[in-house]
Amino acid sequence: MTRRLWVSLIATTLLVVIAFGSNVSTGNNPKLGLDLQGGASVILEPVESGATSEDLVVVRSLIRDELERTGIAEPDVRVQGATIVVDLPGVKDTQEALDSVDVSGIVELRPVVNFFECNTGAEPTDGVSIDPNATPAAGTLGLEVPDAESVKRRSAPDDTAPDTDTAPDTDTEPDTDTEPDTDTEPVETDEPVEPADDEPAGDEPVDDVLTDDVLADLLPDDDAPIVPDLSAATLNGNELLISRDGEPLCVGPAQGSGEVFERQSATVAINNGFEVSVELRAGQGEATWNNLSAQCFSGAATCPIQGVGNGARGRLAIVLDDVIQSAPSVNQPAFNGAVSITGQFDQSEAQDLANILNRGAFPVEMEAQEARTVSASAGGDSLRAAIIAGLLGVALVLTFLLFYYRWIALVILSGLTIWGLTVYSAAAFVSGATNYSLSLAGVTGIIVAVGVTVDSYVVFFERMKDEIRNGRTLKNAAPRSFKMTWRTIWSADLVSVIGAAILFWLSVGSVRGFALFLGITTLCDLFVCYFFTRPAVLLLARSKFMQGRRAFGLEVAS
Amino acid sequence: MSRPDHIAASGPGRLYRGQTAIDFFGRRMIGAALAAIVVVVTIGSLLVQGLNLGLDFEGGQAWDVPANDSFDVSDAEQVLDDNGISITGSKIQRRESTGDESDAIVSVQIEEVSEEQAETLTQAFADASGSTVNDVGFSFTSSSWGSEITEKALRALVIFLIIVAIFISIRFEWRMAVAALAAMAHDVLFAVGIYTVFQFEVTPATVIAFLTILGYSLYDTIVVFDRVQENEGKYASVRMPYADVVNISMNQVLMRSINTSISSLLPVASLLLIGSGLLGAVTLREFALALLVGMISGIYSSIFVAAPLLATLRANTGRASRRERLTGEDLRAAVIGAGVTGRVVDSSTPTADDDDGSTLAARSRPKRDDGDDSDLVKTAAVHQPAEKILSHPPRPRKKKRR
Repeated sequence: MTRRLWVSLIATTLLVVIAFGSNVSTGNNPKLGLDLQGGASVILEPVESGATSEDLVVVRSLIRDELERTGIAEPDVRVQGATIVVDLPGVKDTQEALDSVDVSGIVELRPVVNFFECNTGAEPTDGVSIDPNATPAAGTLGLEVPDAESVKRRSAPDDTAPDTDTAPDTDTEPDTDTEPDTDTEPVETDEPVEPADDEPAGDEPVDDVLTDDVLADLLPDDDAPIVPDLSAATLNGNELLISRDGEPLCVGPAQGSGEVFERQSATVAINNGFEVSVELRAGQGEATWNNLSAQCFSGAATCPIQGVGNGARGRLAIVLDDVIQSAPSVNQPAFNGAVSITGQFDQSEAQDLANILNRGAFPVEMEAQEARTVSASAGGDSLRAAIIAGLLGVALVLTFLLFYYRWIALVILSGLTIWGLTVYSAAAFVSGATNYSLSLAGVTGIIVAVGVTVDSYVVFFERMKDEIRNGRTLKNAAPRSFKMTWRTIWSADLVSVIGAAILFWLSVGSVRGFALFLGITTLCDLFVCYFFTRPAVLLLARSKFMQGRRAFGLEVAS
Repeated sequence: MSRPDHIAASGPGRLYRGQTAIDFFGRRMIGAALAAIVVVVTIGSLLVQGLNLGLDFEGGQAWDVPANDSFDVSDAEQVLDDNGISITGSKIQRRESTGDESDAIVSVQIEEVSEEQAETLTQAFADASGSTVNDVGFSFTSSSWGSEITEKALRALVIFLIIVAIFISIRFEWRMAVAALAAMAHDVLFAVGIYTVFQFEVTPATVIAFLTILGYSLYDTIVVFDRVQENEGKYASVRMPYADVVNISMNQVLMRSINTSISSLLPVASLLLIGSGLLGAVTLREFALALLVGMISGIYSSIFVAAPLLATLRANTGRASRRERLTGEDLRAAVIGAGVTGRVVDSSTPTADDDDGSTLAARSRPKRDDGDDSDLVKTAAVHQPAEKILSHPPRPRKKKRR
């Protein structure tokens, strides 16, 4: 028993001291926040003039979200005049700052004019290189085959709303028959009802489905023979762009932007594979979208039908930064309120697409103008003052406790030191790994945490005092007291940890930073309490050193 | 010196030895009245004048002043100070391109002021930096703490409180969850009240301070309730009124609460007095004040709000207790760990393990004699050998009395 206590005590001390030492020697210090250390500042301006201040406020929020999502913690983003100023904590390199705030491209909606090449201009084509069986280009065909097959089985020539048959108009749930191209089953379930389907129902589909052709899985690996002719880029405003899956598509000029989508409405759901749903902004957004979808559905010149067969429809590309993020084919002429995109995504692909649709709502395109370094906003002396005052306060606390608990308070002194070193190492590690930086509020939060940490000793020692007063020996009182104390401490600390975890997951900005450091200090408290304080007090209580001393100013029974 | 179980003569001595016998439950109305005042004043003030939201929440005005040898951050502070604008709520930063000192600017953001004052400031900045008014860029800034941050934080907070309530209900009981959350609300309202009544500026740091207070309050209340729950088990078989259990527990944790308060408050007080007072870090001042107030309130509320509320909630549950609440010396006897049994113990017969003199102490105390000794079921607080009571609940009684 004694041996295990020694092992725990020594191992903990060594571990903490080594961790601290290595952090200090490698210069891995906790990052300090904007208010304490400054950082970099980037000024963004709208590319085109005429952006209203409401637009800028919207962009501000979107940039904030986007920065947080990409892991930049606690940025300070605000509209200043006609510009947006982004202050990033802890970043000293202005180029790095410029790169990290480059998040404000706008999403364009461009109808797909042609697969693979743009030479044919805006004219509708009937499937390039149709060769049902062979050639790498069969990728397209391979993709279309199940669709075409299923369509052959359809009797209704005019199935404008293939998926309204099972969905009542008021139903907001995603349909089950999302018809991924490669899956014929849902289509089959459609069949019996399909002929009975009438037009009015097709006009108000509540739940609207696009299917995303994910070619990557279907294309043979060796698509070497096909070299997209990127030089023939622009013709009638058409551009040959590469999708994220490596599929070259010729797309027409943008007919809408991500603004047609409701802000922050894109979500990922699991429905026969992953599905990305996004709401359409009522009014203008929906009108723009439906105008586009009608063109693609009917195969108008601007958005010709891709592939063969009755079920083949035009495709609509979602483009960001000249990369096609997704190019689903449009399965209905009109959408009511919401759009859902299905296909062979895995979860991260679906999440990416949802994020893109969300950020696509930038109303204006912003461009970074310049990056500068900024100094600490709280004034350079604040950190020093906080630390001096904090240390002085802690010294006062220790003096008080030493006076109050006498010899046993030595444990508090060493325990607090160990705790402080642990918190430092943890903060250094976390701020290195996650970008969270220590702001003035964080520093003072840690100073407050000293009080909570000291409390675990006070609870422990008061309990021991009770036991001793009732006639126990010190040696006997210590383990009993610890048992009761531990119960109290973990209950109380667990609440803090729960709080920290929830606030961290669900909130943003400085609240998140606060939660992080609350969690760190509380966990360190639990760690030190169990692995350092317990063995230290238990060993001290049974040592010869304490015998005959008045541990708590009380006479100890022997 | 004295035996460990000797009752100290002086108040502080008793406090030090954990021998206090304060009837917290009996004074619950004082706590309730104070809490009611806090709530009414805070809500009233919130409705009448609201909170003084700072730059980060409401936006304001910004100046970009060219920096040079004679004009830097401290000079900008001086200008603001001369014009009677608080530096606490302002952000003054030096911005420069990397490695290029020549185009450095001092950017000053302050809360919105009137147009004339803004013009005066522009002129003042121009004068101080030795440039012309045209060189000083002036613009309006938006908030950087948008409403969506507040919304997300509030949503997280609500979920947190629900989960904490569930946790306390499982670990303790639901009434404790109610009492703990009430005490927490009291503390946060108190801190918010200070801000709204004195119209201190609310910054993101203040919000953090409120959250810290919230966490601290819950922590403190749970430590206290843990002792209540422990004592509840200990006295389960003697039909102790719940108010007594609470009273005993409060007195037992009193020293701990005081020590913890001192340990928690000293660093914060040091931040307030030394950090912002002597060392002049003004940004610390209101933050430290909010923390100080909130933490004092947290310690106060766990004893004077949460515990009496818990006792009140529990008052009519379980089996009816057999006797009046313990007060005075009886309460003290219970507090210092002597057991309370259901029987009147004949104090003239020393118990077998009377080896530490506790029974002696009990005997030497003037016995309460109020004439109803004939009532055999009357419960007297007596000293029992402490070990029996301290860590174990009493063995269940084997046969029914009478």
